[in-house]
Amino acid sequence: MSGAADVRALLAAAARVARDPAIVDALVSSTGLSRENVELSLAAHLELDAPDAEIDSLVAGAGRAESVHVVLSASVFVAPLRAIALALAASDRVTVHASRREPVFARALVAALGDPRVRLVEERVVDAAEIHVYGRAETIASVRRAAGPRSIVRGHGPGLGVALVSGDFARAASLLAEDVTAFDQRGCLSPRVAYVVGDAHAFARAAADALEARAALFPRGALDPGEATDLARWTSTAAYAGTLHRGAASAVAVLDADALPPSGRHLLVRPLDSPASFLSVLGALGPFVTTVGTNLALDPVPHVRLCALGAMQRPPFDGPVDRRPPT
Amino acid sequence: MTMSKLEESEALHARARAFVAAFGRGEPMPEAFDALARDLADFQARWNAGYARLRAARGEAIPAVPTEVFKLARVSVFDEGETPVVFRTSGTTAAARGAHWFRTCATYDAASVAMGRVALGVSERVPVLVLGPPPAEQPDSSLVHMMARFVEAFGTAASVDETYFVRDGVMDLVALDERVTRLLMSSVRDTVVLATSLAYVHLLDALGGAKFRMPDRTRAMQTGGFKTLTRSVDGSALRRDVARAFCIDESAVVSEYGMTELSSQFWETSFVGGERNVWVEPPWARVVPVDPETLAPVANGATGIARIEDLANVDSAVAIVTADQVRRAGRGFELLGRSAGAPPRGCSIATEEMLGP
Repeated sequence: MSGAADVRALLAAAARVARDPAIVDALVSSTGLSRENVELSLAAHLELDAPDAEIDSLVAGAGRAESVHVVLSASVFVAPLRAIALALAASDRVTVHASRREPVFARALVAALGDPRVRLVEERVVDAAEIHVYGRAETIASVRRAAGPRSIVRGHGPGLGVALVSGDFARAASLLAEDVTAFDQRGCLSPRVAYVVGDAHAFARAAADALEARAALFPRGALDPGEATDLARWTSTAAYAGTLHRGAASAVAVLDADALPPSGRHLLVRPLDSPASFLSVLGALGPFVTTVGTNLALDPVPHVRLCALGAMQRPPFDGPVDRRPPT
Repeated sequence: MTMSKLEESEALHARARAFVAAFGRGEPMPEAFDALARDLADFQARWNAGYARLRAARGEAIPAVPTEVFKLARVSVFDEGETPVVFRTSGTTAAARGAHWFRTCATYDAASVAMGRVALGVSERVPVLVLGPPPAEQPDSSLVHMMARFVEAFGTAASVDETYFVRDGVMDLVALDERVTRLLMSSVRDTVVLATSLAYVHLLDALGGAKFRMPDRTRAMQTGGFKTLTRSVDGSALRRDVARAFCIDESAVVSEYGMTELSSQFWETSFVGGERNVWVEPPWARVVPVDPETLAPVANGATGIARIEDLANVDSAVAIVTADQVRRAGRGFELLGRSAGAPPRGCSIATEEMLGP
């Protein structure tokens, strides 16, 4: 019977992986992130110090399944830790299909764990009792189509974070820059839009400065071809229809429209009349918002994690990281 | 003496229409393309702050405006009260539809008719049948507007009911059949059919494999994609099926490529001896494949996304950039579908994913 002890063993294995000098180079190569950003992620975003209460809560919420197959995405390289922990808490038979684009951390973690109940597999398993799939909507749909009739597929689809900001813009921008910089904004918690009560242009300037300052410490890695393509169009669109602040490794635009920027450290700033209108202006983005980082006191938002700016990429270990119901 | 904005616009329209007129007469162009393009860009940047900002941001004399901008901002040097005509892109909600505003359609109309006349091989008035609605039913559709101009410019006299065969979204096959029968009985040989790809699909579905014989020198314009169609349809197969149903040669099914954000269109010239699957520009517009990341021209023969320079877009955007992939070929360019880019890593949402299909 798996339980909290197994999860603690997994956390210990993750700590060994993080201490392995060879892992950083491998992750720089597989993720495209800079060395500094990989090191930051291992130090600050890998949940090695999860409190007992969070571990117990994760185990209690994991349910039971005869077998669990985990299909991982390439977005956030530390994400396999929580995904495998959830699976191990639910079952003694766990198979893990790592992303082809970023297999390094998952492989290292499973190897370091050395538990025969958790195996890496090269092909997706279609007949597990539960299939936990993380990634794009197309990936989830493809797994669902292939799944056996008795498999339960729990899809954790694409999403984004947004920020709601007022007051001390310099401090807020600095904290938000930390959230944007982590994993070069490729995770489903990563903020892509900041709603600003007050002078949106002033906040945009502060955010642009903060992102460039952050890039000096933690350089941006290479953009994906898709990101680079979207960036050319987005910056042109933002320059025409709004105000664009283009930095060497980031871009911030003030634009009162749902012109979502590509990932890769790009932020859309939208003016907001008052915090009360926040939910109504989310519009088409609403169903995709996983996390709201804010320096305001907000009432709970259904299916959304509220947290402080600077903590958007540091969710509690028992999550749920993404409060939206699995699809 | 300094010209007013209106005077400047009028003068630029006149220069653009001089290209069209020279083309119609088979004469050399009145001036260099680049000279008018630069003057248009200067004019647009002077009177449109958005274009001025784009110029500054990209550091280019004639930066291309992404088509998305037409959904987010007013792409016009004139205010709303000065632009009585608006064409809107297709879409299900107002917020998702782009708008192209016009102070005057004179240049648009002249440019469209001149190139359409050549591609469709029309030298004298011919019966024109539109498998679409009359303009009063869809006044904000640039395609419907263009078809109506073709009817006016080179159609023989006919009533609205004898010309437009779609009303309230329903194709009147009985009326179409009656009109075609009369044409055949009066030994008319030359006919032009104008329709979207979607309309042809519906017609072919209704025919269920049966033939619908048209006069033997019929040319059929095919345009547009299949945005509202629930099944996939291959463009080449559609051409073949239309030709078979109408009992005409496949070279007489001619594809037009245009968009709401432009004032000019591009045509296959297969009916007049040109290549199939190669779209030809008029002399006042050009399609440049550009690198999607840098927006700089790619090497000749390489694939890029379409930067389109349109001298007839006098009061809006002289250059736009689309997501359509193109490659220079022969006397024109090939259309290779939409650029999807590389899929983003993992669970960070992509814009297209948010907006849905």
